[in-house]
Amino acid sequence: MATTTAAVTLTSDLLSDEMSVSATTTCMKAGTTADGLDMMEYGYIDIVTGDQFDLLGSDDSTGSLGKPVAGIMANKANKVYIKNHSTDETYYVSIMLDAQAIGKLYGGDWMFIPWNATDDDKDIEITASGGTNKICYALFHEGKTLIAS
Amino acid sequence: MATTATISISSDIAPGFGGISESMTLTQGGTLTDIDSTTGFSIRKLSATGAVDLVTMDDISNTVETKDSTAAKIYIRNIGYKGVIDKSVGVTVGIKAEAIGKLYGGDWLMMPLTGIDADDVTVNPATDDTVVIEYVMFYEEN
Repeated sequence: MATTTAAVTLTSDLLSDEMSVSATTTCMKAGTTADGLDMMEYGYIDIVTGDQFDLLGSDDSTGSLGKPVAGIMANKANKVYIKNHSTDETYYVSIMLDAQAIGKLYGGDWMFIPWNATDDDKDIEITASGGTNKICYALFHEGKTLIAS
Repeated sequence: MATTATISISSDIAPGFGGISESMTLTQGGTLTDIDSTTGFSIRKLSATGAVDLVTMDDISNTVETKDSTAAKIYIRNIGYKGVIDKSVGVTVGIKAEAIGKLYGGDWLMMPLTGIDADDVTVNPATDDTVVIEYVMFYEEN
Protein backbone atom coordinates (compact mmCIF):
# COMPACT_ATOMS: atom_id res chain seq x y z
CA MET A 1 0.00 0.00 0.00
CA ALA A 2 1.24 3.44 -0.86
CA THR A 3 1.46 5.67 2.18
CA THR A 4 0.92 9.40 2.22
CA THR A 5 0.90 11.26 5.50
CA ALA A 6 0.10 14.89 6.13
CA ALA A 7 1.06 16.56 9.38
CA VAL A 8 0.35 20.03 10.68
CA THR A 9 1.61 22.01 13.63
CA LEU A 10 -0.24 25.14 14.58
CA THR A 11 0.92 27.60 17.22
CA SER A 12 -0.51 30.92 18.33
CA ASP A 13 -0.09 33.46 21.07
CA LEU A 14 -3.49 35.07 20.54
CA LEU A 15 -4.94 33.25 23.54
CA SER A 16 -3.99 33.83 27.16
CA ASP A 17 -1.85 30.74 27.07
CA GLU A 18 0.12 29.67 24.04
CA MET A 19 -1.83 27.34 21.79
CA SER A 20 -0.07 24.47 20.09
CA VAL A 21 -1.87 21.87 18.01
CA SER A 22 -0.32 19.01 16.10
CA ALA A 23 -2.08 16.46 13.95
CA THR A 24 -1.08 13.76 11.49
CA THR A 25 -3.25 11.80 9.14
CA THR A 26 -2.63 9.00 6.72
CA CYS A 27 -4.47 9.68 3.48
CA MET A 28 -6.66 6.71 2.63
CA LYS A 29 -8.98 6.00 -0.27
CA ALA A 30 -12.60 6.91 0.36
CA GLY A 31 -14.32 4.67 2.85
CA THR A 32 -11.40 2.33 3.38
CA THR A 33 -9.10 1.69 6.28
CA ALA A 34 -6.42 -0.31 4.54
CA ASP A 35 -5.83 1.18 1.11
CA GLY A 36 -3.92 4.43 0.73
CA LEU A 37 -4.10 7.03 -2.00
CA ASP A 38 -1.89 5.79 -4.79
CA MET A 39 -1.50 8.52 -7.41
CA MET A 40 -0.32 12.09 -7.32
CA GLU A 41 0.35 15.14 -9.43
CA TYR A 42 2.80 17.83 -8.38
CA GLY A 43 3.36 21.10 -10.15
CA TYR A 44 4.76 24.59 -10.04
CA ILE A 45 3.30 27.31 -12.22
CA ASP A 46 3.13 31.04 -12.69
CA ILE A 47 -0.36 32.53 -12.60
CA VAL A 48 -0.66 35.84 -14.39
CA THR A 49 -3.11 38.45 -13.22
CA GLY A 50 -6.50 38.92 -14.71
CA ASP A 51 -7.92 35.67 -15.92
CA GLN A 52 -9.41 32.90 -13.81
CA PHE A 53 -7.87 29.50 -14.45
CA ASP A 54 -8.79 25.95 -13.55
CA LEU A 55 -5.88 24.81 -11.43
CA LEU A 56 -7.39 21.35 -11.03
CA GLY A 57 -10.29 20.11 -13.13
CA SER A 58 -12.74 17.68 -11.58
CA ASP A 59 -13.03 16.00 -14.96
CA ASP A 60 -9.24 16.17 -15.25
CA SER A 61 -9.45 18.54 -18.19
CA THR A 62 -6.33 20.29 -16.90
CA GLY A 63 -4.59 17.23 -15.55
CA SER A 64 -2.44 14.49 -16.89
CA LEU A 65 -5.06 13.08 -19.23
CA GLY A 66 -5.27 16.35 -21.11
CA LYS A 67 -8.93 16.03 -21.95
CA PRO A 68 -12.14 15.77 -19.97
CA VAL A 69 -13.21 12.46 -18.49
CA ALA A 70 -16.55 12.82 -16.78
CA GLY A 71 -16.67 11.81 -13.15
CA ILE A 72 -13.08 10.71 -12.97
CA MET A 73 -12.40 12.44 -9.66
CA ALA A 74 -15.91 12.26 -8.26
CA ASN A 75 -16.53 11.39 -4.64
CA LYS A 76 -13.00 10.27 -3.98
CA ALA A 77 -10.83 11.12 -0.99
CA ASN A 78 -8.59 13.43 -3.00
CA LYS A 79 -6.36 15.83 -1.09
CA VAL A 80 -5.10 19.14 -2.48
CA TYR A 81 -2.13 21.20 -1.33
CA ILE A 82 -1.53 24.68 -2.69
CA LYS A 83 1.14 27.17 -1.69
CA ASN A 84 1.68 30.70 -2.92
CA HIS A 85 5.45 31.05 -3.22
CA SER A 86 5.30 34.72 -4.15
CA THR A 87 7.67 36.71 -1.96
CA ASP A 88 5.67 39.93 -2.13
CA GLU A 89 3.11 39.92 0.67
CA THR A 90 0.71 42.05 -1.35
CA TYR A 91 0.40 39.41 -4.06
CA TYR A 92 -2.40 36.89 -3.64
CA VAL A 93 -4.46 34.32 -5.45
CA SER A 94 -8.18 33.89 -4.95
CA ILE A 95 -9.24 30.26 -4.66
CA MET A 96 -12.69 29.21 -5.80
CA LEU A 97 -14.52 25.94 -6.15
CA ASP A 98 -17.31 25.79 -8.71
CA ALA A 99 -17.59 29.59 -8.57
CA GLN A 100 -17.86 29.64 -4.77
CA ALA A 101 -15.13 31.80 -3.26
CA ILE A 102 -13.07 29.93 -0.71
CA GLY A 103 -10.49 32.54 0.25
CA LYS A 104 -7.19 34.17 -0.62
CA LEU A 105 -3.68 32.82 -0.39
CA TYR A 106 -1.24 35.69 0.03
CA GLY A 107 2.46 35.31 -0.68
CA GLY A 108 3.78 32.62 1.67
CA ASP A 109 0.37 31.13 2.51
CA TRP A 110 -0.54 27.48 1.98
CA MET A 111 -3.68 25.38 2.19
CA PHE A 112 -4.48 21.69 2.44
CA ILE A 113 -8.01 20.44 1.84
CA PRO A 114 -9.98 17.34 0.97
CA TRP A 115 -11.56 17.62 -2.46
CA ASN A 116 -14.50 15.37 -3.19
CA ALA A 117 -15.16 16.77 -6.67
CA THR A 118 -18.74 15.57 -6.46
CA ASP A 119 -19.41 16.39 -10.09
CA ASP A 120 -17.60 17.68 -13.15
CA ASP A 121 -18.23 21.32 -12.24
CA LYS A 122 -16.21 21.15 -9.02
CA ASP A 123 -13.03 22.55 -10.48
CA ILE A 124 -10.54 24.32 -8.25
CA GLU A 125 -10.17 27.74 -9.79
CA ILE A 126 -7.50 30.34 -9.21
CA THR A 127 -7.14 34.04 -9.99
CA ALA A 128 -3.99 36.05 -9.36
CA SER A 129 -3.79 39.63 -8.12
CA GLY A 130 -0.94 42.06 -7.56
CA GLY A 131 1.36 40.47 -10.11
CA THR A 132 2.37 37.10 -11.44
CA ASN A 133 2.02 34.63 -8.56
CA LYS A 134 4.20 31.55 -8.22
CA ILE A 135 2.08 28.60 -7.20
CA CYS A 136 3.10 25.14 -6.09
CA TYR A 137 0.38 22.51 -5.91
CA ALA A 138 -0.02 18.82 -5.29
CA LEU A 139 -2.98 16.53 -5.80
CA PHE A 140 -3.03 13.17 -4.05
CA HIS A 141 -5.79 10.95 -5.38
CA GLU A 142 -7.15 7.48 -5.84
CA GLY A 143 -6.02 6.88 -9.32
CA LYS A 144 -7.69 6.97 -12.67
CA THR A 145 -8.01 4.79 -15.67
CA LEU A 146 -6.14 6.06 -18.68
CA ILE A 147 -8.13 6.36 -21.86
CA ALA A 148 -7.06 5.57 -25.37
CA SER A 149 -5.75 8.58 -27.28
CA MET B 1 5.78 34.80 18.51
CA ALA B 2 2.83 35.02 16.26
CA THR B 3 0.49 32.51 14.71
CA THR B 4 2.27 29.95 12.59
CA ALA B 5 1.31 26.82 10.72
CA THR B 6 3.69 24.18 9.43
CA ILE B 7 2.78 21.37 7.04
CA SER B 8 4.78 18.25 6.31
CA ILE B 9 3.66 15.82 3.62
CA SER B 10 5.48 12.61 2.95
CA SER B 11 4.57 10.07 0.33
CA ASP B 12 6.01 7.02 -1.35
CA ILE B 13 3.59 7.21 -4.29
CA ALA B 14 6.11 8.71 -6.67
CA PRO B 15 9.72 7.56 -6.55
CA GLY B 16 11.94 10.53 -5.92
CA PHE B 17 9.26 12.71 -4.40
CA GLY B 18 11.07 14.44 -1.58
CA GLY B 19 8.03 15.49 0.36
CA ILE B 20 6.70 18.89 1.27
CA SER B 21 7.65 20.90 4.33
CA GLU B 22 6.46 24.48 4.52
CA SER B 23 5.63 27.01 7.19
CA MET B 24 3.60 30.17 7.14
CA THR B 25 3.05 33.00 9.53
CA LEU B 26 -0.56 34.07 9.51
CA THR B 27 -0.69 37.77 8.69
CA GLN B 28 -3.31 40.31 7.87
CA GLY B 29 -4.09 40.49 4.18
CA GLY B 30 -1.44 42.16 2.08
CA THR B 31 0.77 43.08 5.03
CA LEU B 32 3.43 41.62 7.31
CA THR B 33 1.33 42.43 10.38
CA ASP B 34 0.36 39.41 12.47
CA ILE B 35 -3.23 38.28 12.29
CA ASP B 36 -5.02 39.56 15.37
CA SER B 37 -8.14 37.55 16.18
CA THR B 38 -9.27 33.98 16.72
CA THR B 39 -12.37 32.05 17.62
CA GLY B 40 -10.23 30.10 20.05
CA PHE B 41 -9.85 26.36 19.90
CA SER B 42 -13.20 24.59 20.01
CA ILE B 43 -14.88 21.25 19.52
CA ARG B 44 -18.30 20.45 18.10
CA LYS B 45 -20.07 17.14 18.60
CA LEU B 46 -22.29 15.97 15.74
CA SER B 47 -24.75 13.10 16.05
CA ALA B 48 -26.96 13.36 13.00
CA THR B 49 -26.66 13.87 9.28
CA GLY B 50 -27.49 17.30 7.91
CA ALA B 51 -25.37 20.37 7.35
CA VAL B 52 -24.92 22.71 10.28
CA ASP B 53 -22.86 25.85 10.66
CA LEU B 54 -19.52 25.30 12.29
CA VAL B 55 -18.72 29.01 12.01
CA THR B 56 -21.42 31.55 11.33
CA MET B 57 -19.69 34.59 9.94
CA ASP B 58 -22.19 37.22 11.03
CA ASP B 59 -22.74 35.81 14.51
CA ILE B 60 -21.53 38.80 16.46
CA SER B 61 -22.86 37.29 19.68
CA ASN B 62 -20.22 34.67 19.14
CA THR B 63 -17.62 37.42 18.70
CA VAL B 64 -16.94 36.35 15.15
CA GLU B 65 -17.15 39.39 12.93
CA THR B 66 -14.47 39.12 10.36
CA LYS B 67 -13.14 41.69 7.97
CA ASP B 68 -14.31 40.54 4.56
CA SER B 69 -12.05 39.13 1.86
CA THR B 70 -8.82 39.34 3.78
CA ALA B 71 -6.61 36.55 5.12
CA ALA B 72 -8.80 34.50 7.45
CA LYS B 73 -7.91 30.82 7.81
CA ILE B 74 -9.48 27.83 9.48
CA TYR B 75 -8.14 24.53 10.78
CA ILE B 76 -10.61 21.67 11.14
CA ARG B 77 -10.03 18.07 12.15
CA ASN B 78 -12.28 15.03 12.51
CA ILE B 79 -11.16 13.53 15.83
CA GLY B 80 -13.68 10.69 15.97
CA TYR B 81 -15.50 10.00 19.20
CA LYS B 82 -14.22 8.84 22.57
CA GLY B 83 -10.85 7.91 21.18
CA VAL B 84 -12.22 5.88 18.28
CA ILE B 85 -11.25 7.30 14.89
CA ASP B 86 -13.12 5.75 11.99
CA LYS B 87 -11.31 6.25 8.68
CA SER B 88 -14.25 4.79 6.75
CA VAL B 89 -16.79 7.55 7.43
CA GLY B 90 -16.43 11.26 7.18
CA VAL B 91 -17.80 14.72 7.64
CA THR B 92 -18.24 16.96 4.62
CA VAL B 93 -16.94 20.47 5.09
CA GLY B 94 -18.48 23.21 3.01
CA ILE B 95 -18.61 26.92 2.44
CA LYS B 96 -22.15 28.25 2.16
CA ALA B 97 -23.90 25.54 0.13
CA GLU B 98 -20.75 24.34 -1.62
CA ALA B 99 -19.21 21.08 -0.43
CA ILE B 100 -15.44 21.28 -0.35
CA GLY B 101 -14.51 17.78 0.72
CA LYS B 102 -14.91 15.08 3.30
CA LEU B 103 -12.75 14.73 6.39
CA TYR B 104 -12.51 11.07 7.25
CA GLY B 105 -11.53 10.07 10.76
CA GLY B 106 -8.25 11.75 11.67
CA ASP B 107 -8.17 13.92 8.56
CA TRP B 108 -7.59 17.64 8.89
CA LEU B 109 -7.71 20.69 6.68
CA MET B 110 -6.30 24.19 6.69
CA MET B 111 -7.82 26.64 4.25
CA PRO B 112 -8.37 30.33 3.69
CA LEU B 113 -11.80 31.88 4.16
CA THR B 114 -13.46 34.96 2.72
CA GLY B 115 -15.06 35.85 6.04
CA ILE B 116 -18.02 37.26 4.13
CA ASP B 117 -21.24 37.03 6.13
CA ALA B 118 -22.92 34.57 3.79
CA ASP B 119 -19.88 32.31 3.52
CA ASP B 120 -20.46 30.26 6.66
CA VAL B 121 -18.39 27.16 7.28
CA THR B 122 -20.62 24.09 7.37
CA VAL B 123 -20.12 20.49 8.43
CA ASN B 124 -22.29 17.53 7.48
CA PRO B 125 -21.66 14.02 8.85
CA ALA B 126 -22.18 11.07 6.53
CA THR B 127 -23.96 9.04 9.21
CA ASP B 128 -25.84 9.53 12.47
CA ASP B 129 -22.92 8.12 14.44
CA THR B 130 -21.46 10.61 16.86
CA VAL B 131 -18.33 12.34 15.67
CA VAL B 132 -16.39 15.28 17.10
CA ILE B 133 -14.86 18.09 15.08
CA GLU B 134 -12.15 20.32 16.46
CA TYR B 135 -11.48 23.69 14.88
CA VAL B 136 -9.94 27.09 15.23
CA MET B 137 -10.33 30.09 12.97
CA PHE B 138 -7.97 33.03 12.70
CA TYR B 139 -9.19 36.28 11.20
CA GLU B 140 -8.91 40.01 11.07
CA GLU B 141 -11.32 41.76 13.33
CA ASN B 142 -13.77 44.02 11.56
